[in-house]
Amino acid sequence: MEKVLILNGSPRAPKSNSKRYAEIFMRYSSNEVTYQNITRKNHLELCATLDGYSDLLLVFPLYADALPVGVLEFLKVLEANPPQHRPVISILINCGFLEYKQNKVAMQMMELFCRRNGYRLGAQLMLGSGEAILDSPFRFIAVRNIRKLARSIERGTYRTFCATMPLPKKIFQWAANRYWTIYGKRLGITKEQMQTMKIESQNS
Amino acid sequence: MKLILSDRPLHFPILADDIRYFDLSALKIANCVGCFGCWTKTPGRCVIRDDATRIYPCIAASDRLLYVSRLRYGSYDSVMKTMLERAIPVQQAFIRIHCRETHHVQRAVTPKKATIIVYADTEIEEEERQIFRQLVIRNAYNMNFESFEILFTTESQVNDLAKEFVAQWKKY
Repeated sequence: MEKVLILNGSPRAPKSNSKRYAEIFMRYSSNEVTYQNITRKNHLELCATLDGYSDLLLVFPLYADALPVGVLEFLKVLEANPPQHRPVISILINCGFLEYKQNKVAMQMMELFCRRNGYRLGAQLMLGSGEAILDSPFRFIAVRNIRKLARSIERGTYRTFCATMPLPKKIFQWAANRYWTIYGKRLGITKEQMQTMKIESQNS
Repeated sequence: MKLILSDRPLHFPILADDIRYFDLSALKIANCVGCFGCWTKTPGRCVIRDDATRIYPCIAASDRLLYVSRLRYGSYDSVMKTMLERAIPVQQAFIRIHCRETHHVQRAVTPKKATIIVYADTEIEEEERQIFRQLVIRNAYNMNFESFEILFTTESQVNDLAKEFVAQWKKY
């Protein structure tokens, strides 16, 4: 049986959607799977841990159109401290936008890292509408694709998958704005307050 | 207002009435924690009260922008990337359709002409340049760039290139 290490690169890893995606992956993978968060202080420890694994699955959200800085920092440490036996690196990126293709640039950054550092690039899953999909009627789409990702890693076929909510942009916009309005209301903030044009209390 | 953000000290005179300059490497800027506070708790204000809170209002207000950053795997390296992640308060949580894609609604962000100087220890390969260009195209949608140019250079030449560029700003 192959061993898979999942590393969660979300800045809010313990409470993140990435963690929920990792849990779904673990439910459907028949490999031995271990899960860890990337923190500011455990990069070297994670690099040493990697030696015992055939596969690494990096799970993280798109952040300012690219890799979150925590993932970037980890990759720099990994580059300087490679394991003796390099695992295959698979990737699951999610973004809050409808278009899964907005993850493409971050995926290309990971491809470049793998090529430069002698890692085989494994399976890839790009998820759109990733902020809300697990709590929507389209949850099954995310689950189905994560299951495919798990199978692909198990079988060593390392395929690329992509998924999002099957909605027209206008409907997605309406649903997302409703989601955020309710989110703010729970915190006692009105939609109008959330829509302020002021930045740091100043009109720019 | 013109704004210069650099991930390293720039060694030339920058002072001018309409230019703000920040050496990010000398400032205290923590990582974004992804709390959504700047969208849903204190809209337009980051809950982490460090030096980033002085910078993102300047990003929003500037009409000319110069970023100077090391390149890493086709991305801005950590110092600049940390700041850009902390600039999320300039956007709202709400979604708009822009250029046939879904993006966040901007708050009061002035349209800007952006110049990005990226450097590396050695000559930058074409694949990495292409990835970075694609990244800046995406940034342009989300940071209200009306136009941008990217200048690739080496670490040994970055200061001179920035100096030359800022001299042009002062001239016109």
